[in-house]
Amino acid sequence: MKGGNGDGARLRPREMQYADNNPVYLLLLLLFYLPVLTVLARAILNSGFLQELAGFLRSELFRNTLSFSCRQALYSAGISLLLSLPGAYFFGRFDFPGKRLLRSAMVLPFMLPGILVVLGMVVFYGNNGTLNHWLALLFPGRGWRFTGLYGFWGIILAHVFYNFTFCLRLTGEAWERINPALHEASALLGAGPFSTWRRVTLPLLAPTLLYLFLLVFLYSFLSFTVVLVLGGYLYKTFEVLIYIEYNSRLRFDRAALIAIIQLFLLAGILYLQALSGWRLRRDGLYAGPLPSLSIRTCPGRTILFLVYIILTAFFFLSPLVAVVARSFFPRGLPGGLPTLENYRLLLTDGFRFAVGRNFGSVIAATIGLGVAVSFFTVCPAYYLARRRKNRPWGGADLWLQLPLGVSFVTFTSGLSMLAGRVLPSVLLILWAQLFLAFPLVYSILRTARRELSESLLEAAALLGAPPSYILKTVELPLMQPALSTAAAYAAAFSLGDLAAVLMLGRGRVVTLSVAIYRLIGHYRFPQAIALGTLLILISLFLFWVMEGRYQARARYLFPRSQEGEEE
Amino acid sequence: MKENTLLRLRVEKSYPEFHMKVDLQVKRGEIFSLVGPSGCGKTTLLRLISGLEKPDRGEIILDGKEITDLPPAKRRVGMVFQDYALFPHLTVAGNIEYGLKVQHLPAAERRERLAGLLELFGLERLAHRQIQSLSGGEKQRVALARALAPKPLLLLLDEPFSALDYNLRRRLRQELKTLRAKLGFTAIFVTHQQEEALSFGGRLGVMENGRLVQVGTAEEVYDDPATPFVAGFLGEANLLPCRVETAEGRTRVRLVTGDCFELPPPKNFPSGPCLLMLRPEDLSPDPGQAGRLTGKIETLEYQGAGYRLEIRCAGVVIQAFLAKKYRGLREGDQITLGFHPGQIRLFPGLFPGGWPVSFSG
Repeated sequence: MKGGNGDGARLRPREMQYADNNPVYLLLLLLFYLPVLTVLARAILNSGFLQELAGFLRSELFRNTLSFSCRQALYSAGISLLLSLPGAYFFGRFDFPGKRLLRSAMVLPFMLPGILVVLGMVVFYGNNGTLNHWLALLFPGRGWRFTGLYGFWGIILAHVFYNFTFCLRLTGEAWERINPALHEASALLGAGPFSTWRRVTLPLLAPTLLYLFLLVFLYSFLSFTVVLVLGGYLYKTFEVLIYIEYNSRLRFDRAALIAIIQLFLLAGILYLQALSGWRLRRDGLYAGPLPSLSIRTCPGRTILFLVYIILTAFFFLSPLVAVVARSFFPRGLPGGLPTLENYRLLLTDGFRFAVGRNFGSVIAATIGLGVAVSFFTVCPAYYLARRRKNRPWGGADLWLQLPLGVSFVTFTSGLSMLAGRVLPSVLLILWAQLFLAFPLVYSILRTARRELSESLLEAAALLGAPPSYILKTVELPLMQPALSTAAAYAAAFSLGDLAAVLMLGRGRVVTLSVAIYRLIGHYRFPQAIALGTLLILISLFLFWVMEGRYQARARYLFPRSQEGEEE
Repeated sequence: MKENTLLRLRVEKSYPEFHMKVDLQVKRGEIFSLVGPSGCGKTTLLRLISGLEKPDRGEIILDGKEITDLPPAKRRVGMVFQDYALFPHLTVAGNIEYGLKVQHLPAAERRERLAGLLELFGLERLAHRQIQSLSGGEKQRVALARALAPKPLLLLLDEPFSALDYNLRRRLRQELKTLRAKLGFTAIFVTHQQEEALSFGGRLGVMENGRLVQVGTAEEVYDDPATPFVAGFLGEANLLPCRVETAEGRTRVRLVTGDCFELPPPKNFPSGPCLLMLRPEDLSPDPGQAGRLTGKIETLEYQGAGYRLEIRCAGVVIQAFLAKKYRGLREGDQITLGFHPGQIRLFPGLFPGGWPVSFSG
């Protein structure tokens, strides 16, 4: 349509584009897919490929790994969703003071480095953890102890910690969009609260729940850090298996073979997920006001909600608080006077012995990589977002999103096979973390750039401003919140990455995550806790950058559902 | 002395939906209204003039200089956008000053110009306010002030009042006329509302499917529309199929309703099928008029200023608007309405929907 509105004269946007011939776009595709293709080629071109494949598929290791991966992923997804439902009800049906703040705080667990979550779990729920300490104090002589952390349920606990909050946030948002009039209509037609929930609310929430279930299933299926530390010899995901074959046993062909099998399994999950994502778009929209939740209007619910929030906050915050608190006690154990001894130990040779590098170089590597990854991810992502601003989310964007569904350990081992001997470790890690961070960064910037009204830039041009001046005075100031959010996410990915630094750093590059992993391996918990506290500080700073100044919408995390969620 | 024509434009551009071909001249100092239904290419034409889009062929000459290939920033064309496009990260003053800063005016002069504009638009108190805190009318004023600040040769207004309510719209239209008288700028005002187009009193152009179908003063276009589309778009019009018969120097018009009347001598017209335009307000029950239509009142609405009637005459529904003095009419009444042949317009050979069967004999 022309003439009627300002949009009229622009490109006709219905054409889907499956590729882009821009050099930056092509370079990114090359950077992303070449390592994966290397793994595939390595496995398939191996002379005994079919024999080995058949052998592996028949092996007990395969059966155990598949069964464990699926079971833990099912439990993780199911429990995360179940626990999030009551909270989603309160977030979806009521307004209350601090709702926005709570909602934005829910991004925090998702962006915490995996090793930090594991450390927090160990410090709080572990055998010598705070919880057992409290149990001993509260019930002396009973011998009650929680010993399940190292094993199946410990892994589930960590996965729930990771995924529960974004389930709550997204289910709550989906619930908010259900028009309250539907419930009133249902009640007027004679349905009781439970019947209304079963016949109206649940069917409307179902697409979101299904989508989230598959998403958590996928994340848990691909879990690396948590399972690597808490799984011991008994429990392995395919990611951990590939890592062990590649990094410890140096059986590259075998690692490639497992990677291929995992790629096929992932394709199946992604396909299901794409289907549920497609259904998510059909949600009706409601953006009206909600009744406010207060002790005066509905005391029962308010109390229930407060209990829920306190329990949740306890579950999430206590491991982190325990890490920070214990870092100030001698040997990282409760009791005694507060001291900075643990921090002093970071500067000793003992630290260097366990970690392989001294404290200064660990900090330098962590910050340097974080900054570099932010820069090299945000620049091309913004460039492409700007270039493709007039096009709808299409096939060409999907190619840049696919890394989300490719196993990161597969990519990293492929990268090591491809360029491990040619490029220095730092560049390899940078390459790998670019792959890790790019999809989310791109989807944040792509969405934000599309939302920027083109007429603002046109207005500036008509007022006589040259392009560079428009970029400086209008475009970048308006995009700045999205840019800093994207940069913070990229840095958070870099901060949390364990696999790439372990596999590509070869001991020469050690970041905070790897240092903590090594310290846990050497049972040097006091130093691990001190480093963990630093990691928490850095994470909080990044969180402040991304959420403190910009209301990052949860949809940025899930680009596949994006078109449908545009309001 | 300067040439009287400020903008000359002859452009063509193809789109998937239609082909745009426009030939237009705008005089110095006038407010030229551009009107047409949504989707007819009005906004596109503004974007071509401003340089936000390039024509496939043709030339645009502004103030004697060809600007066809100049970038928007160099054209000295100001624009007020439909959604205002005010910079949300700048204050009211920051928005108005933007174009002045781009020109690198000395700070003192810039401040002076800014103060003048703030005063002119009654925005002094709002100078340091954020854009989000402004009302629709205030935003509109800021947008106008910002567009005028760099003293553009030509101001383009793209449905600038469409988001505002009726009374505010009327007031702002009046302000725009006063401003033009004061500052003497030239403007093209795009709207899809006929009332708005007529109200500026200057020339207007009617667009349909990428073409300018008629340009003239408001009276010319309203009273003597070039096509049935223009007649129907500007104001209300009854469009009735009829047949013109010329014999022995006399011209008779036979209406689809069966009624017949004679055209006065100057209104000579070739014989054949025609479409007759008759404005509802030109019909009245007064006797002694040459044209007559008889039918039954189907609906009757009192509208304050008068009565709106729908009358069914021999299978055709005719709209009429009668003054208040004709009170006492009722739905279902039989009525005879007359009109002066001088008030009708005839469009030859045009029969949307085909020639009515009852009339073909």
